[in-house]
Amino acid sequence: MNEVALLQNYLVVGGLLFAIGLVGFMTRRNTIVMFIALEMMMQGVAVSLVAWSRFHNDFSGQMLVIMIIAVAACEAAIALSLILMLARRSSNLDIAFWQLLREEGQEPTLDEEVPAAEIEHEPWPELTPAGVEPELDPEKVRYRSHV
Amino acid sequence: MTLAMWLAIFATLYGLGMWLLLPRRIAAGRAAGAVLMTAAVAILGTRLVPPGALTTNILFYALAAVTVVSAVCAMTFRSPVYSAIFFAVSVLATAGLFLVNGAQFLGVAMVVVYAGAIVVMFLFVLMLAQPEGLAFYDRLAFEPLLCSVSSGVLVFLLTITLLTPGTLPSVAPLAEAGADGRAADGLPGVEAEAHVAAIGARLFSEHLISVQVVGVLLFVALVAAAAIASQSRRSPPPRTAEGGTA
Repeated sequence: MNEVALLQNYLVVGGLLFAIGLVGFMTRRNTIVMFIALEMMMQGVAVSLVAWSRFHNDFSGQMLVIMIIAVAACEAAIALSLILMLARRSSNLDIAFWQLLREEGQEPTLDEEVPAAEIEHEPWPELTPAGVEPELDPEKVRYRSHV
Repeated sequence: MTLAMWLAIFATLYGLGMWLLLPRRIAAGRAAGAVLMTAAVAILGTRLVPPGALTTNILFYALAAVTVVSAVCAMTFRSPVYSAIFFAVSVLATAGLFLVNGAQFLGVAMVVVYAGAIVVMFLFVLMLAQPEGLAFYDRLAFEPLLCSVSSGVLVFLLTITLLTPGTLPSVAPLAEAGADGRAADGLPGVEAEAHVAAIGARLFSEHLISVQVVGVLLFVALVAAAAIASQSRRSPPPRTAEGGTA
């Protein structure tokens, strides 16, 4: 097996994963997608470390990846509980909602033109009303959460 | 054409495709972006040197393509649920890459920890926190043009540094290791028959202190996550962005 070519190819894949994760972290506004991008960058680093580990016939690279996986698990637990707390306070996952925390003198991010939603509504069949409206128990109507 | 020209074409197609795929004000052009991105990955694939026997090559190219393409999908899809699922696909393909590269234990650990635990946790949080339908902040991105351009420059520099002959060492120590594949200090090497036994011997001798530190770290993270999650229950009423109470 051509070990140098193998190392080269794995490093290219790891670098691409890192670059793609970087773009995702910089551009996306959903906190969870930002966090996925962060994990993707760590994955790129892990790919590179495994490639070097094989090239040098040395387990240290793989040991580092084991540590990375453990740290990623810790990070996921803490970050997701933070995200959940932020989402409860702002009732959405938008990172720009928290831009009041920005440094003094920074321009605020404004988004005036929100693109229209791309969801098409399914055409439900409409039924013609027929028969007598049923009598409803007022007690049940009062305590029903929704109709 | 020289390598630099091919890689410049690759980086240009990659940057353009990324810009077209990212959420923008105008939703048009995503199909064109997908085509450009596929072309970019294919061009990069033709520039790589096949690493070994036919089976290894097929496995490597297929897994690498799945990894990179699903990573792009995870970063560019509007719905965060699709992002999480494509991230899981990318992690599974990476686990396959680890298996090809002689890291069986890590491949399995990636599947169990990342695809099994972390992605499921993402989906749980999404179900808890995501408002119904596609939110406006999933249909907008910060500075997609600037980020695509800088990412294109970054991948161009990375690939040209890595693929130019002579940058990396030309002889692998693994190739010189001899028939039994032992490492420099006499312990079994990466390609050893009893892989998990070799990794365990290393982990609990040389790296014992790191293992204990990581154990403490996991425990601290557990306490911190519980503290943060329980704090939010007695939080003040939510405030709107203007500063008033909702």
